[in-house]
Amino acid sequence: MSDTITNTSSDLDAYRQQMRDWLAANLPARDPHAGLRAAHEISAEQLAADRALQKKVYEAGYVGITWPTEYGGQGLSGQHQQIWNEESRAYAVPAPGGIASGVTMGIVAPTLLAHANEEQKRSWLPKILRGDELWVQLLSEPGAGSDLAGILTRATQDGESWILQGTKVWSSGAMSADFGVCLARTDWDAPKHRGLTWFKVPLRDPRVTVRPVREINGSAEFCEEFLDDVVVADDMRIGELNEGWAIANSMLGFERGASRDPGAVRPKGGGIRPIAPDLVEIARSRATLTHGHVRQLIAKAHANDVMHELLTARVVSSITKRISNPSAASYIKLGHGILQPLRACAAMEIAGRTGIAWSADVHAHGETAATNYLNGRIMAIAGGSNQIQRNIISERLLGLPREPNFDTNKPFREVLRTARNWGTKGE
Amino acid sequence: MTFTEQMVRSGAQGSRCMDLELTSDQLLFHETTVRFIDAELPMTKVRQLHDDPVGYDRGWLGKAAELGWFAMLVPEEHGGGSVSGAGLLDAVIVAEELGRRMQPGPFLPMNIVAAALAEHASPEQCARVLPGIAGGEVVATWCVSDADGNWDGGAGVIAVATEGGFVLNGSRGYVQDAQSADWLLVVANVGGASAQFLIEASTPGVVVVPLVTLDLSRRLASVSFEDVRVDGSALIGAVGADGALERQLQIALALLCAETVGVLDAMFSITVEYSKDRTAFGRPIGSFQALKHIMADLGLWLETCKAGAVALATAVEQRSAEAAALAHTVAAYVGDVATDIAQECLQIHGGIGYTWEYDLHLLLRRARSNSALYGEPSWHRERLCVAHGL
Repeated sequence: MSDTITNTSSDLDAYRQQMRDWLAANLPARDPHAGLRAAHEISAEQLAADRALQKKVYEAGYVGITWPTEYGGQGLSGQHQQIWNEESRAYAVPAPGGIASGVTMGIVAPTLLAHANEEQKRSWLPKILRGDELWVQLLSEPGAGSDLAGILTRATQDGESWILQGTKVWSSGAMSADFGVCLARTDWDAPKHRGLTWFKVPLRDPRVTVRPVREINGSAEFCEEFLDDVVVADDMRIGELNEGWAIANSMLGFERGASRDPGAVRPKGGGIRPIAPDLVEIARSRATLTHGHVRQLIAKAHANDVMHELLTARVVSSITKRISNPSAASYIKLGHGILQPLRACAAMEIAGRTGIAWSADVHAHGETAATNYLNGRIMAIAGGSNQIQRNIISERLLGLPREPNFDTNKPFREVLRTARNWGTKGE
Repeated sequence: MTFTEQMVRSGAQGSRCMDLELTSDQLLFHETTVRFIDAELPMTKVRQLHDDPVGYDRGWLGKAAELGWFAMLVPEEHGGGSVSGAGLLDAVIVAEELGRRMQPGPFLPMNIVAAALAEHASPEQCARVLPGIAGGEVVATWCVSDADGNWDGGAGVIAVATEGGFVLNGSRGYVQDAQSADWLLVVANVGGASAQFLIEASTPGVVVVPLVTLDLSRRLASVSFEDVRVDGSALIGAVGADGALERQLQIALALLCAETVGVLDAMFSITVEYSKDRTAFGRPIGSFQALKHIMADLGLWLETCKAGAVALATAVEQRSAEAAALAHTVAAYVGDVATDIAQECLQIHGGIGYTWEYDLHLLLRRARSNSALYGEPSWHRERLCVAHGL
């Protein structure tokens, strides 16, 4: 944030050297094969240990490197942050709560920095950076996903307080978190986008029930939360009353940025990308690598992998150079959403019978294919479904007209009634 | 509305090149190319050439040569040169516009042969033919596939060494512009190994039989060789030319994919514009999600084709280690989605797209034709597996 400060290269070199020494002395090496720990498998002891370690990193000055000092950051430049990104890559940097940590630092904290008031920022942000508090999003609801502005969680004013009531779902990592930023409806007579407000909600409150959602693959990264007349003071309100939609959009922008896989763009000179190694392995295990139809499936999957990588680089570059508007990022998202299900299906096709049953004792390629098959639609649904991306692309990039809508200018109360009677006589 | 008017409205006319990093010299070159095409061979004139057996006018070819169309892969000492010095990256600028504006003529084969000679021919062989190619005075083409349209590494033409030369017997199929070519670069077989011969089309024993083509602006022919006698100077490079063939295929695919991108960009732009103009059920048909979601997918595929075509041209120009695999990757992808995009554009147009007068079918024909011209997608996928050692 203080990019205007000019750093001499010797300053940066000294910073890097100091950091190297600290990392070597304080953090274990990263296991390159370890993925992000699944949220539901994190024990209370593990969570506490990771938090303590984050505190140590924070106290060394390596969390919130570019954040303003008044909010607990170091107030250093983007170059300093870049040095951390490079140097820390080889180390097991703590991520308390797994995905909860990513949501806290990548989505919630930037949103608070942009939209919370001064007092809130001074009070909340240092605790977040220090690892004292994990925050998640209380955003989607069982009845509002793609149509996020159609949420039904209500916040009713009661003197200096607000009473929140409703159900939230798909909150990544909420089982480990301390607080949630919650979007609630505060005006039912305003059009849907104009009656929404944000609140900070304590997840350890007895009136909040957090329940992990078991997914089709058996894992549980997400939670469902029941808010049963939770009382929060007015100073827990984030942003202006009834102006929560703009904040929601800003947050979704941070979310898209945080979810962009930095490894997606292969550095130049990185060599030839191997041909679909996972699929080749499955075929090899069944001795079908010489079969023409299997080779076609492998080559097609690989071509799609490579082409999507090239597309990603093109889109990122054209947005950066302002040749395309930022909505072009939807091409990347839609590409993932179309290709990942196809790829998962190709793996199952190559696995054949080995993808539907396997021995409990030994690692089987078919089991991996089956799990990926169950996960195949994640990118097609999460973070804006394929259909939402297609609307964005066709309207914001191709300039096609919107479908007529029946809900944006009516009082929300009326929208709910009209929707229920849709298509019946009298409508 | 005429095709040209639609191109203007849709923004495809003079639209941005697929390569987003062109230099100002290259942009000027692009502008000159577009101006030349629009002045010399706009769509109405392109249509007039559909029944012409040659498919283009030799005078026009000479004018195109003055713009450098056939000189970009020719070394300077033989009359060549290009705007940026990276000849293939300049050539794909032209190729893309040839596709977008449905131009006829032997741009692809002339450039492929020029590159082959520049890389493998002796100085004497180069001097004999390259200046004429660069100047558009002679037409040259590459005879690569067998009579059944397969890549055979030359097996279908047997060349037997004789005293002072070779005798060739056999046939080549689906040769671009063989009917108007002065020189044929023939892929043949010498004692079990591949080899390339540069043969004058007028040599006794060479018989060219024109084919009827799906793409009305493309000329393809079968060429047979019956006891065709050539002297030793007809052999280009060494016997055992697999590496040369591979390299020429990469150049062909880089040019072809760029051309296909131009075709698809024109079709897609026209289709999006049509869907905004055409109303049904009281609104523009482009407002229906049933259609706009298809167009969003087409937009994604087209952007991906552009990314791939640029990456391929760059890799082939730089002779990068991944050029071979990338050529088959991009050709397989572009070949697949080109036909999908073309079909969906027709679908969105509905009945009007099925009429002869409307130009959409001309683009659809070329899109499909290009998806087979230098190998069909499934062939590229098999070659891709081989390139990766599978």
